[in-house]
Amino acid sequence: MENELCPGAERGSEFVIDPGSLVDPSKRKFLRAAGMLMAGLILPKAQAVQGPRDPAGSGHKVVVIVVGGVRRDETFSPYGQVNIPHLSSDLLPKSLFYPHARNEGVTAHFNAISSILTGNWQHVDDWGKIAPTTPTLFEQFRKGLGVDRSDTWVVASNKALTSLIGASSDSNFGPAYGANVVFPKQLMLQAVADALRGGRTANMADRSKVEAELESAMEGSNYEGLGWNVFDASDQLDPRVRSSIQSAISSFVRGGGPTSGDELTFFMSREVMRKFAPQLLVVAFSDVEAAHFGSYALHLSGIKTADRLAYQLWQEIEANPDYRGKTTMVILPEFGRDPDGSSTNGFFNHRANVDSTRDTWMMALGAAIDKPQIIERPIHHIDLCPTLAGLLGCPRLDALGRMIPEIRS
Amino acid sequence: MRVEGSTTDNLQDALSKGVLKRLPLTFLPFVNQQLNQWDFLFSSERRSVERLLLYVASLTPEQSAVLFRDVVQLEEKMGVRNWEFSTTEQTIQNSSKLAASPYFQDWRRSVQAVFDAADQHSLGASGDAVKAGNRLVLLDIPQGLPADTASVWRRWQGIGRPLKLDLTLAGDSRNAFEALLIGTHNGTGGHAGGLLDAARSRPGISPTDTWVVDAGRGLVDAIVAQESSIAPATGAILLSNGRLDLYRQNFSHEMNSMRKDLADADAVFDRLRKVDVTEWCPPEVASDPAIREFVRALYLTGNGAVIFGNSFVQWASSEAFRRARPSFLAAQFGVRSKPKPFTGVAVFDNPDQVNPLPAVDDLPGSAIDAQILALYVWLAAYRYEDYQRSTVCVCLAESLSQAYVVAPPEFGLWQAAEPVPFNRLSDALHTWIA
Repeated sequence: MENELCPGAERGSEFVIDPGSLVDPSKRKFLRAAGMLMAGLILPKAQAVQGPRDPAGSGHKVVVIVVGGVRRDETFSPYGQVNIPHLSSDLLPKSLFYPHARNEGVTAHFNAISSILTGNWQHVDDWGKIAPTTPTLFEQFRKGLGVDRSDTWVVASNKALTSLIGASSDSNFGPAYGANVVFPKQLMLQAVADALRGGRTANMADRSKVEAELESAMEGSNYEGLGWNVFDASDQLDPRVRSSIQSAISSFVRGGGPTSGDELTFFMSREVMRKFAPQLLVVAFSDVEAAHFGSYALHLSGIKTADRLAYQLWQEIEANPDYRGKTTMVILPEFGRDPDGSSTNGFFNHRANVDSTRDTWMMALGAAIDKPQIIERPIHHIDLCPTLAGLLGCPRLDALGRMIPEIRS
Repeated sequence: MRVEGSTTDNLQDALSKGVLKRLPLTFLPFVNQQLNQWDFLFSSERRSVERLLLYVASLTPEQSAVLFRDVVQLEEKMGVRNWEFSTTEQTIQNSSKLAASPYFQDWRRSVQAVFDAADQHSLGASGDAVKAGNRLVLLDIPQGLPADTASVWRRWQGIGRPLKLDLTLAGDSRNAFEALLIGTHNGTGGHAGGLLDAARSRPGISPTDTWVVDAGRGLVDAIVAQESSIAPATGAILLSNGRLDLYRQNFSHEMNSMRKDLADADAVFDRLRKVDVTEWCPPEVASDPAIREFVRALYLTGNGAVIFGNSFVQWASSEAFRRARPSFLAAQFGVRSKPKPFTGVAVFDNPDQVNPLPAVDDLPGSAIDAQILALYVWLAAYRYEDYQRSTVCVCLAESLSQAYVVAPPEFGLWQAAEPVPFNRLSDALHTWIA
C-alpha cells in the first residue's frame, strides 16, 4: 500500500510559497529611517569606484547559470533535444559536457543552489530562512582575495530563494563577504500586486504603462521589500543599480518579446554584466517551475526559454570585451524532476529519490575548457564550487566537493 | 455520499488501550489527522488506518518496538524531539523539517516498511483482498484540443495500444465522450443509456464507486440536467472545475495573501481547513460533507488544482484512486488560457483580474498538458493492486478519432475491426462494466 504519511511536496509546491505580499511594513519603516540616517556611511564603497577595476585573483571570470528542475527526458535525450536547440546544437560542440551531474542532497530549490554554491550538501530550511552553513563561493572569493562586493552577483527568478543565498552563516565569513542578490521577477510580481491594489490593472495591458508600473514598484518597495540585498544599503539603492534596473526594465518592456520572469532576469543579468562586469555572476532561471502547477506545455516552454536565454548570455560573453576570452560559463539544472508514474506526481515535483530527480547534466564552456569533450564520469553538484574557486584563484577551503580536473585555468 | 460516523469496535478498543502511545512521533500527525477526520474518510482510507493500528495493537510491546526500531532510530538522528513538530496534524512546517533532513529518504523507506508489514499482516489474517469486479477508467482529450498524431501515445510506452475509431454520431449533437457517458438520442426521439447510468446501476455499488471529473463545466452540467429529469438509481461523485469556481477562487485568494513564511503558511492553511465552504459549493458538492472535504484537501495539497482545470482533473482523479478506489471513473480534460503578459505564470487565480486583455485559449498547450496528464491518471490508478487486474482504461483523443486502450486480453474490443464504430465502442464498455 502507498502510505500517505510522508510530507507532501504538494504542500511545498511553489504555489504555497508564492507570496502576494512579502513586505513587513514595520520593518520597512524602520529600515527606511535607518537608511536615511546612515546613508552617508553605508552607501556602498562600490559607488566610489569609477571605471574598470583591476581583476582580483586569476582575473578569470565565471558565469554560472542554474536552471530549475528539468529531467533528462525533456532535455538531453533523443526526444528532449528539440526543447534545447541552442544547448544541444550551438553550445554542445564547443563545450565540456558532463551527462551525469548528480544532486545527492536535498532536491529543493534553496538547498540545491546552496549546495552548488558552497561545495557542501546543505540541509537548511527550504524556504530560505536560514543561510547556508558553510562559505559560499562569493565569500571565499571576496574574503580570500579582497574582492569588492560589486564583483559578485546573484540574479534569480526563483521565488524559493532569498537574499540569504548570497552568504553563509559561517562566523568566519558571512554577509560582510556576501554577493549582491536581486530577484527581478519579484519586481514584476510586486508591480502586478501594486496595480491590482491601486485599481490600475489596465496599465498591465499597455506596454507603455507597464514600464512605469515596474519602476514604481521598485521605488515603492525600495528594493528591500523585494527581498533583494544590494551593496548592504538597507534602503538606499546604488544609483548605478537603479539605472541598471531601469535599463533592464526598458529592454524587457519595449523589446516586444516574451514577458516571463526569466526574460526580466536575463535583461537584468545582462545589465549587471555591462555596468559592473562582475567576476562572478550566478543567474538562476525558473520558468520551468510552472511544472508545479501541472502544465507540461508551460514547463517545456520554460525549458525552451532557458535554452535561449543561456545562449544569449553566452553571446553577451563573447561580445562583451570585459568577458570575451577570459570567462568560463557553466550551465546546470538544480535537479531533475520525478519520473512519470511516481507517487510524487511525476514532473510536477522533484523529491523522489531516483535518478530522474537526482541525475542531471552540466555544460561548461569558455576560457577554462581545453577542448570540447563529453565526460561520462559522473560528477556531483558540490564539485562545482571548489572547481570555480580554483579558477578564480581563491585560497583552498575544505569542502566535500572535489575539483573537476577537466575545468582549469 | 454519507460515510459511517464511527470507528469499528476493534479500533475503538485499540485506541482506548493506548495504541497511539506505541507509535513513533513522526506517525502521529498523520494518524491523528486521519482519526480526527474519520467522518470524512472513504472506506478504503479507514481500512488503511485501521490495518495499521490493529496490527500494532496485536503486537507485544517488544514486537512493536522491533517494528518501529528503524523509524525511531532515524527520528533520534534527525532530532525530531527538538523540533517544533505538530503531533496533531500534518503541517507545512513538519514537512519542511523532515524533507530538509539528510535522513529523509531513509525515514521514508522505514515508514513504508511499517505500512507494508501492516498490509501483509492484514492480508494474512483476514484475506482482506481487493474488491472483485471489472473497473473502467475512461478519459477524454476533447475534440477542441489538437492532439499530436506523432506524440500523443508515446509516453504510454506500449502498455496498451491505440485503436482507430469512427466517432460519427448519427442524429446526435453531443460529443463522443458525453454521448458515451450520458447516452445518445436517436433520430426517432429514442434514448440509449450511457455508461454513467450503467455504472451506478450495478448491484452492490456505493456512490463513491462512480466518479466523473470535468475540467470545465459542460459535462457535469449535462449530467445534472439529465438527473433532474431522470432519477438515477444511485448517486455518483460529480466534480466540475467550472462549477467549483467560487470555492477555488476563495481558496486561491487566501493562498495568494500568504507571506513567505512557514508559520504564516500554516496559519493560512489552518484557517482554510476550518472555513465553512458550503456556500461556495455547487449543489452536488454542498450536499455531501465528505466530498466538500475531498475538494478542500485537493486545493490544500496543491499540484495546480486551484490553477488549471486539467491539473484539477488529474489531481482529483489521482486522489480519488488513492482514497476511494472507485470502480468507475470518467474524466474529461479541457482548455486553459495562455498566461497573460507581465503576470508571470499562475501568479493569481484569476488572470482577468490583473490584466484586462482578453483571455486567449491555448489549444495546442492544453492538448500537450492533457496528453501527459491522461497518462498520469492511468498511472495513478495502476499504483494500486485494485486496478492491476480486471481494469480497462480507454483514453479518447477525439480530434484524432483514436483511443488508447489498456485492457486485459478478454476485453471485447481487441478483436474489433478498425475503425471501431462508436456503437461498438459503447457496447464493449457497457459489457465490461455490466
